[in-house]
Amino acid sequence: METLEKMTPKICLGGITKEYIAPRTGQRTLAIADVSLDVFQGEFLCIVGPSGCGKSTILNMIAGLARPSRGELVMDGKPIRDPGAERGVVFQDYALFPWKTVRENIEFGPRYRTAGPLSASERDRIVRHYIDLVSLTGAENKYPHELSGGMRQRCAFARALANEPEVLLMDEPFAALDAQTRLILQEELLRIWGEELPRAARKTVVFITHGIDEAVYLADRVAVMSNNPGHIKTIMTVDLPRPRRESLRATAEFQKLADAIWQLIRHEAYEATIDRH
Amino acid sequence: MAAQQDNGLTVQPARTAAQPGAATPGWPTSADQRIWTALGAVFIYLRSMAVFLVIWHLGSRWVGNAILLPSPIDSAEALVELFADGEIFDNVTASLSRLGVSFGLAIVLGVSLGFAMGMNRTIYAMVDPMVELLRPISGIAWIPLGMFILGVGEALPTAIMFYGAFFPIVINTVVGVQAVNPGLVQAARVLGVSQRAIVRHVIWPAALPNILVGARLGAGAGWMAMVAAELIGAPSGLGFAIEWYRELLMTPKVLAFVFIIGLLGYLLDRLLRGLQRRLTPWAQAGGGLT
Ligand SMILES: Nc1ncnc2c1ncn2[C@@H]1O[C@H](COP(=O)(O)OP(=O)(O)OP(=O)(O)O)[C@@H](O)[C@H]1O
Ligand SMILES: [Mg+2]
Repeated sequence: METLEKMTPKICLGGITKEYIAPRTGQRTLAIADVSLDVFQGEFLCIVGPSGCGKSTILNMIAGLARPSRGELVMDGKPIRDPGAERGVVFQDYALFPWKTVRENIEFGPRYRTAGPLSASERDRIVRHYIDLVSLTGAENKYPHELSGGMRQRCAFARALANEPEVLLMDEPFAALDAQTRLILQEELLRIWGEELPRAARKTVVFITHGIDEAVYLADRVAVMSNNPGHIKTIMTVDLPRPRRESLRATAEFQKLADAIWQLIRHEAYEATIDRH
Repeated sequence: MAAQQDNGLTVQPARTAAQPGAATPGWPTSADQRIWTALGAVFIYLRSMAVFLVIWHLGSRWVGNAILLPSPIDSAEALVELFADGEIFDNVTASLSRLGVSFGLAIVLGVSLGFAMGMNRTIYAMVDPMVELLRPISGIAWIPLGMFILGVGEALPTAIMFYGAFFPIVINTVVGVQAVNPGLVQAARVLGVSQRAIVRHVIWPAALPNILVGARLGAGAGWMAMVAAELIGAPSGLGFAIEWYRELLMTPKVLAFVFIIGLLGYLLDRLLRGLQRRLTPWAQAGGGLT
């Protein structure tokens, strides 16, 4: 991983602070304070941390859906101000358009985006490719409410991919799924991400999760966050070989990494849980 | 009726057949069962109609005055007569074309204003007090004033029907636009889509179920306002015909026209309901926000 540090980062968060101000009461919530983070081309970065530590806040700012109160937010040397097709997002609740079929959902970006929309035939090719990639063949003409949770997840994923973003931002994409489906989709995610490809050809991924196992299994690096106010505690490098297989989870190395992360956040995880009850 | 299962749980036998209209879609009903359900519904319908007609008939016998309350048979005869000499068609055409014009205008203007109010806070703050002030005033209240300004003719009933249809459409459009799941708008924004495409392909379809509810309510309100407006303010139409035959003391014809108004209002609602199902299949299926 030494090579990573020498590269210029794809996305650069420099001393970011985000304060929410409630519109009516004017009450301030300091969501994150002074977060600095570099995300490199082709890396798979996971963010873990207790509930409410500001993970979604960070992701939304990278997506351009929210602006930092202070600090710098840069992608490829240009400041991020608005959402853009080069940054795809998969939301936790999928946010599929209920009035559009699977195919139309996936086609949405390539069809209506302002930057270089595709012609009908190109779109057709791309959509078919991604429908196959996420194994939704045969469900193209179904509406989201006719899909299972796992299928909706795949559809949301394909919608983000079909827009061919350089960076993929995922906010707890598997949280609503059952354990088996989650395991299967984790493996598929790595395959689709391009585990076998050279780093330069991979997409850059920022992936938020509550699952420490999930983070270690997927990530090149895991950013561990902490509460009050939200900040990054440590960044762990996961030096496990790729492509990764299910059997990896049983190895001592994997367990050691997972345990180390758990020790970092367990105290706050307990507190956050108790707070909420 | 409770059956004991071997797991010890008490289960009620499914009784979907007894509740037409409440049959759950996707519930495993065989074709047989469905036919029985439909027949059952028809039977219940005929039974309540029969009860109603019998009471009506007895009532008219008791009153004993065909001008005050004619029997259902006289009324049916009058209805047949109106169809036979074609008189009914002129009046229906007059009323329906007024409805078409006023409802069309109400849809176009109401939906536009509703979108403007739903998407722009300043416009909402400016227009909403006015809407809230005018909305509770029945269109009928404007008829006397309307007669001064517009006189008896096409304009008055059309304007009154427009007034009735307009507000339900505006209000439901505003609600629909404001209730659009912000997550869906964000999903479109992160795909790099223009604001115009978001309005056209996200906000519009998301608000459409509510807009169609408004259209149905508006059509109903417009249709009701029609009769009142035509009673005094028009030279033709169903309301006019009622008043005409009232003056001639021909009550069976009055009732025949009342029946036609009810029937057409019902058909109009069925039509719009069908349109609703056609245009927003996802909303009918109870598919939530995902
Ligand atoms: N729109 C908002 N207005 C005010 N405060 C907010 C808003 N969004 C988030 N916050 C606050 O900012 C903090 C961080 O929220 P955020 O959603 O980023 O946490 P998270 O790490 O994603 O949590 P979770 O794991 O539960 O999803 C929380 O204290 C939350 O209450
Ligand atoms: Mg979150």
